[in-house]
Amino acid sequence: MTAGARATARPDHGTAYTGLLTEIMSSTLDADYQAAADRARELGRPRRPPQRTAAALVVLLFGMMLAVSALRTQQLRPATAVERSQLVAQIHAREDRLDALHSQVSALEVDVAAVQTRAADRREIQRRTDAAVTSLAAVTGAGAVTGPGVRVVVSDAPGAVGSPSGGVILDSDLQALVNALWTAGAEAISINGNRLTSLTAIRFAGRAITVDYHSLRSPYVVEAVGDPQTLPARLLETPGGQAWLGLQQNFGIGFDTQPVDSLVLPADPILELHHAQPVVPR
Amino acid sequence: MIAVLGLVVGVVLGLVFEPSIPDAWQTYLPIAVVAALDAVFGALRAYLDGIFDDKVFAVSFVSNVLIAALIVYLGDQLGVGGQLSTGVIVVLGIRIFSNAAAIRRHVFHA
Repeated sequence: MTAGARATARPDHGTAYTGLLTEIMSSTLDADYQAAADRARELGRPRRPPQRTAAALVVLLFGMMLAVSALRTQQLRPATAVERSQLVAQIHAREDRLDALHSQVSALEVDVAAVQTRAADRREIQRRTDAAVTSLAAVTGAGAVTGPGVRVVVSDAPGAVGSPSGGVILDSDLQALVNALWTAGAEAISINGNRLTSLTAIRFAGRAITVDYHSLRSPYVVEAVGDPQTLPARLLETPGGQAWLGLQQNFGIGFDTQPVDSLVLPADPILELHHAQPVVPR
Repeated sequence: MIAVLGLVVGVVLGLVFEPSIPDAWQTYLPIAVVAALDAVFGALRAYLDGIFDDKVFAVSFVSNVLIAALIVYLGDQLGVGGQLSTGVIVVLGIRIFSNAAAIRRHVFHA
């Protein structure tokens, strides 16, 4: 089929549809009535007297249909209404539940805010505690420290070992030196890498000096963190410092003090209490 | 007169006895009623035109009811029952209004 043929075909469709509508609008009378009347006239029969009984029966049937249909609609209406009211009740119930859940949500939000505030407080406490623990660890020797200070290297007098000349450093000498350093303002001390804590003992065991149960040999390197400007001078002013100057001069014991810009003092690896209980302030 | 009496008696009978109809038919009863209404208006117009025939009335009534119900039933089976019901109602409604207009012209000569 060509485009032109289709174009000519289109108006026919239009008239066909218009014709259908016109047909519906105009020929409303059942043509059968007219046809029956025409046929009766052609046959020359006189018109049959209308049998009212049959028509009445049909109309009666129509009335019954009408009544039954209306009745059924009436009967169905309550069921629909009941359904509707049930739905409405359900909606209200759900809305109430929703409201309850909403208020629950707001209550929980308040709780969450409170818990978050508390958690923040706890974190703050934790942070402060950590800081305190760290600084306390530095003070007690449980943690390593770094800072400027002095390095004091002391050594037995040459050839003094095994001779009774008195050129050997005693544990009391080292104790005096450490005490002199504390007095001079040292904040942390280690001897040959052994950090001194409140539990550290400096004593003779056999022929060697033990510090924190480690046997040491000369030379002894005593490192002290403190003010490198004042520490050496103040050390010499203390009685211990004076005693050490005497040892140096009289017995030839090595006593060399040098300021150091940056010292690293290790932590005491074994620092625990077995009997002492911390008293927790209330 | 006897037709109006039949209508009244039919309505009363239907209301009093409430004849039970199968559930399957309930959907088609309203459509059938509208189709029957069309047949009744057609008959009334034919009566006023003077060409009323009770046989034609009975046949057109029954066929209208059956065809309308059948069309809607078919639509239900094809899934377009609602649309076909609307179509049937529209066509029957136009016919009823046109018949009513013709009847009005007969009664009031206007």
